Amino acid sequence: MSNPYIVLPIIFQLFLAILLMFCWTQKNLQKLVSTVGSLIAVAIAVIMFAQVWKSGTLVTQAGNWGAPFGITFVADTFSVLMVLLTTLSGLAVSVFSVGAVRNARVKFGYFPILHFLIMGLCGAFLAGDIFNLYVWFEIIIISSFVLITIGGEKAQLEGSIKYVTMNLLASVVFLTAIAVLYGLTGSLNMADLSLKVAEIENRGLVNVTAILFLVGFGIKSAVFPLYFWLPASYHTPPPAISAIFGGLLTKVGIYALLRVFTLIFIPDAFMITLISIMAALTILSGGIGAMIQNNIRKIFSYLIICHIGFMLAGLGMYTELAILGTVFYLVHDIIVKTNLFMVSGLIFKIKGTYSLRLLGGFYKDYPKLSLLMAIPLFSLVGIPPLSGFWAKFYLIRGGLEVDNLVLVGFIILGSFLTLFIIARFWSEAFWKTGEELPKKLKVKYYHELKPLKQKAMVVSILFLAFISLGIGLGAEYVIQVASRVAEELMNPQSYIEAVLGKL
Amino acid sequence: MEILLVIIIGLLYAAGIYMILRRSLVKLIIGLILLGNGANMLIFLLGRVVKGHPPIIGPTEKILADMYADPLPQALILTAIVISFGLQAFAIILVKMAYKVVKTDDLDEMNATDEDL
Amino acid sequence: MLIAILAGFLLALFMPNVIRGLKGKSSIGIALLPFSLFSYFISFLPRISSGETLHFNWSWVPSLGVGLDFYLDGLSLLFTLLITGIGTLVFVYTSSYLKGHQYLDRFYAYLSMFMASMLGVVMADNIITLFIFWELTSISSFFLIGFNNDSEPSRKSALTALGVTGFGGLFLLAGMVTLGYITDEFQISSLAAMSGEIHGHDLYPWVIGLVFIGAFTKSAQFPFHFWLPGAMKAPTPVSTYLHSATMVKAGIYLLARFTPILGNHVMWNTTLIIVGSITMLYAALHAIFRLDLKGILAYSTISALGILTFLIGLGTEEALTAAAVFILVHALYKATLFLITGIIDHETGTRDVSQLGGLNKIMLPVGIAGLLAAVSNAGIPPSFGFVGKDLIYEATLHFGDLAWVLTGAAIVTNVALLFAGFLAGIKPFVGKLPEKFSKLHLPGPAMWVPPLILAVLGILFGLIPPLVDGPLIKPIVAALTLQDPDFYLHLWHGFNVILALSVATIATGIALYFIIKPSEALLGKATRFESISPHSMVKGLGRGFTWFSAKWTNFLQNGYLRYYLITILSFLTFLLAYRLFLGVEIYVDTSVLSEITIYEAIIVLIMASAIFFTVFTKSRLAAVASMGVVGYSFCLIFLFYSAPDLAMTQFSIDTLTVILFVLVIYNLPKYLKLSDNRDRIRDGLLSLIFGAMISILTLEVLNESVQKDISTYYAENAYLLGKGKNVVNVILVDFRGFDTMVEITVLAIAALGVFSLLKLRLKSIEKE
Repeated sequence: MSNPYIVLPIIFQLFLAILLMFCWTQKNLQKLVSTVGSLIAVAIAVIMFAQVWKSGTLVTQAGNWGAPFGITFVADTFSVLMVLLTTLSGLAVSVFSVGAVRNARVKFGYFPILHFLIMGLCGAFLAGDIFNLYVWFEIIIISSFVLITIGGEKAQLEGSIKYVTMNLLASVVFLTAIAVLYGLTGSLNMADLSLKVAEIENRGLVNVTAILFLVGFGIKSAVFPLYFWLPASYHTPPPAISAIFGGLLTKVGIYALLRVFTLIFIPDAFMITLISIMAALTILSGGIGAMIQNNIRKIFSYLIICHIGFMLAGLGMYTELAILGTVFYLVHDIIVKTNLFMVSGLIFKIKGTYSLRLLGGFYKDYPKLSLLMAIPLFSLVGIPPLSGFWAKFYLIRGGLEVDNLVLVGFIILGSFLTLFIIARFWSEAFWKTGEELPKKLKVKYYHELKPLKQKAMVVSILFLAFISLGIGLGAEYVIQVASRVAEELMNPQSYIEAVLGKL
Repeated sequence: MEILLVIIIGLLYAAGIYMILRRSLVKLIIGLILLGNGANMLIFLLGRVVKGHPPIIGPTEKILADMYADPLPQALILTAIVISFGLQAFAIILVKMAYKVVKTDDLDEMNATDEDL
Repeated sequence: MLIAILAGFLLALFMPNVIRGLKGKSSIGIALLPFSLFSYFISFLPRISSGETLHFNWSWVPSLGVGLDFYLDGLSLLFTLLITGIGTLVFVYTSSYLKGHQYLDRFYAYLSMFMASMLGVVMADNIITLFIFWELTSISSFFLIGFNNDSEPSRKSALTALGVTGFGGLFLLAGMVTLGYITDEFQISSLAAMSGEIHGHDLYPWVIGLVFIGAFTKSAQFPFHFWLPGAMKAPTPVSTYLHSATMVKAGIYLLARFTPILGNHVMWNTTLIIVGSITMLYAALHAIFRLDLKGILAYSTISALGILTFLIGLGTEEALTAAAVFILVHALYKATLFLITGIIDHETGTRDVSQLGGLNKIMLPVGIAGLLAAVSNAGIPPSFGFVGKDLIYEATLHFGDLAWVLTGAAIVTNVALLFAGFLAGIKPFVGKLPEKFSKLHLPGPAMWVPPLILAVLGILFGLIPPLVDGPLIKPIVAALTLQDPDFYLHLWHGFNVILALSVATIATGIALYFIIKPSEALLGKATRFESISPHSMVKGLGRGFTWFSAKWTNFLQNGYLRYYLITILSFLTFLLAYRLFLGVEIYVDTSVLSEITIYEAIIVLIMASAIFFTVFTKSRLAAVASMGVVGYSFCLIFLFYSAPDLAMTQFSIDTLTVILFVLVIYNLPKYLKLSDNRDRIRDGLLSLIFGAMISILTLEVLNESVQKDISTYYAENAYLLGKGKNVVNVILVDFRGFDTMVEITVLAIAALGVFSLLKLRLKSIEKE
């Protein structure tokens, strides 16, 4: 079904960003515009989701040039789900930023760029054209470059050099992959590619191309052994920025992997094995990396890697059930990871440190906040019935289905490590008797903030915590969505037909 | 001719990789630029090159005659060139600032963020 | 029913308000919740004893087949009564034990949460629901053990306990999912009928292995037992409730519940017998050497859990009957002993058994409770414990060839347990009262009545077995064996071998009690073996794992960008090479290649040398300049090959980049030769191989013929539909206009970024 409104989430974010640029120096106005805008964006996403849910995949051909000649935007269930999650995290981060981002950064374009980033994410999720996807990826990385460096502190710059280099490398690999793919098929439209790639006789070349895509997106999604940029940089920018990064940037890579490896390249046995091994080692490296960290943001960074492994594992199993698990995990992870980085930001604002060794006494001093923070923490572990549990269930089930018991073992190991790390985190930061830490001059503490700013931070954490609870308790609905996504992904005919018309 | 371009592309990639593996910030950027050039050339070549027939419709014609260069890769490269310019310009300034703040050009000395903070 | 099970969660949620509402008054009223639940469940007793089972289903996640499905049969009923009954007493006891404690609200909240979770475990009719509640018990136990969170040992024990039980929980999940996968059925009550199918399945060993790990960790079986003694750091009500009467029996419950489904298989029985007997002997011996009352009780609890595992392993009707009885016996006397230990600790401030004595003089009712519990624990008639022990001997004696070995093991265990029970229940109350304790007095009735009730029940059930055998025990055995059992519990069996064994056990145990005096020296002997205990091994394993984690992580994440890049590129190169050389037939098809003209050759030569120069020059300026040359030669190639627009763009962008670069480089230091030759050669090789891969790939792609229908469309329609003669431009602004729009946005963002990078230097004074 054709529907021009599906580019609205993108256009709206562009509009917001430009509007925000017009209020360059008025920081309060920017905060207001960003918050209200993000709310509207959520509303748009919800409406779109409802429509796709009701009437199936929506397609629009930009400039009315029919596929495969123009640029196609496709909103299938997966895309709108991702857009919805993006706007939800975007809203939370935008509100959180009201309290957590210092004014100097706001005056130098923090908010416009945040919305450019969200625009890029929405664009990537809705793109139905591989080169257009590349272009959106570039929007995402340039915005993230700016965000990660904004403020120009030493650690930020050092971290961002690594971040920038490896992301640019990923872009080059992605572009190389597109070049080869175009050289083989003469097409860029993903639905069209799906058909054309299937017709290519020289499967060897197709497989090589698939490797290029795997590595290109693999760097973005921070899988083993390509994840190095993440632990090197995610803990350096202000917490609001790491929140949006932690929640969404790697997930866009996973989205692309899922899309490309279900629609264009159907993995052969080698690819399945390769992805499974990568998934297992990603889980392992992330889990044990988090074990030995002291900086809480680094702990969460490594946990991102660990859980990216879970999602990759679902792809490595390559059954509808496993993909369902991956999608469910994606939903859960975006919300929880965004929230955890916001939590770390709040902890920093209160205590003035990210060091687990120095933290302590949080439970005693802030019992209510502690309980609030317990929700994302224990959701991450997947303590049933909080949100992480159900996804794991499907992943294990999927592993059994394809008889990949080793991968199941790694998923269990990863879950155990997460459990242990979070429990230790709780015990150290929340239970341990807190020491009086020397006041840092450079830190503006939580209690020094205006009540509005304090509320902004707490409310945004609360908001995502509620969504986590909702995902866990209302698992049935999420499963229905995820199972439709998985079904659509594993049977791309409907996608292709929606784009190219009945064949 | 393609064979020469193939070699040049290989060289560009190799040189780019070699340069980003060096320890100097400046070389890192040069490496990234070379890689970007390599990728653009690759798109160009794999779109199949045609000599002397630019995809421009003659003043009297309404469609392109049968022998013409594929316009699509050219459009892609144009986009890619501009985008990489944006990214490279940003990276160059980043290098400048990093040097100013960290006071070294040696990448090996920029590993504080991977240490335990 | 759903409300009954979940009431605890609701109460937990509002507990802070409840406690605040009490304004420091006694919190004994909170015990009304478990008490009303107890009354509620006991009202089902007649229906359950008449052989009914009750089902309650609420839909939750239907697409997974997971619902809040509960059912009540004999086994569940016994456990619900224990949970709510002992729960009531523990709640009452707590109101006095932790009177005025700052965090009483949290404590009650965790406790009610635990109670609700535990009820969920024992009533769940769905294996996934069972698991969910199972994990919730682990979590609430974590919070309860770590309740005194200022103390480091408390936190450590909480972590260990959660580590072990959480570890087991995940295995249990895997087991449950596997079971569901085999049978496509999650309903526990329907699984029994599929027992045969499950036994025959290839994955059966996996299922029971995983279920075992879940059960053993929870029920503290060897070698996972070590968390339980540590968990004694929790306040005594917790030890009583979770770590003796209910939670640790969840594993036993699980094994019992799955006996009709997974049991009756040689693997199942053998494993359980072996693990159970090792646990019961190992822990019983440990109990003898302890000085800390709670330590003694912890090990004797582990031992008792071992006995239960062992009995379930035997699997005969007699053994299962014995298990059912023993669960009740043990819960009654062990909870009593824990509660009185709590009283002793609370009043005297010590739990060191060698320093205690003569407390009868000041707290007689507590002493009576202790005595009764010790008697039941020892299996001295007419206690309920005697009935239980008889049944155990009966079960072992009738177990085929190994009868005497097994009976022997049971006797040794029972002797040690008797000793431990006497130590905890009698020793502190008899003998001389130390001077320092003489001013103490009996605590309030909220503390001593609960243990007394339990202790009296332990004797009462022994005197009048019909109180329990018909209503409680028989439905359990029926649930476990799926047959209608035909037996009655007796206190008196007449003179026979079993009685002789009982008498021998009691005599030896009492003798032992008078011979061995607990002392530091004795404790020292036992701790000498600490280094080879499973706990130390796990700790060592943990240390090793941490060491490995640090090595692995720091090896990969070493801080050097170039090593990261090398790893990524080697990975990519390797995969490309592997797939190229093993999957693609490599050849060069000269027919698709055009000829080389002299101009082209010259340009390419210039380019190649410019590239070399860029890479190897020692001057930064020269490098940038020659990079510019590379770019300009690109323009020429674009020009030759029909891309005038590209040539122009490339020309301007290249110029801009070079200018920008030169401006920036002006501030940078000179090149230094930073890498040594070995690095250079290694990097050079990697780059060349990678470059070669790209070249080969390109050549092979060029061999393929390609459809050009899309470009043809552009060529044909650029003017007709796009109204432009330059097809590339039409594509840019029209056919693929969106790309261009985004491209401009990229530039805009980059400009913003450059601006803020250059301008914004956060002043050091401004606060983050």
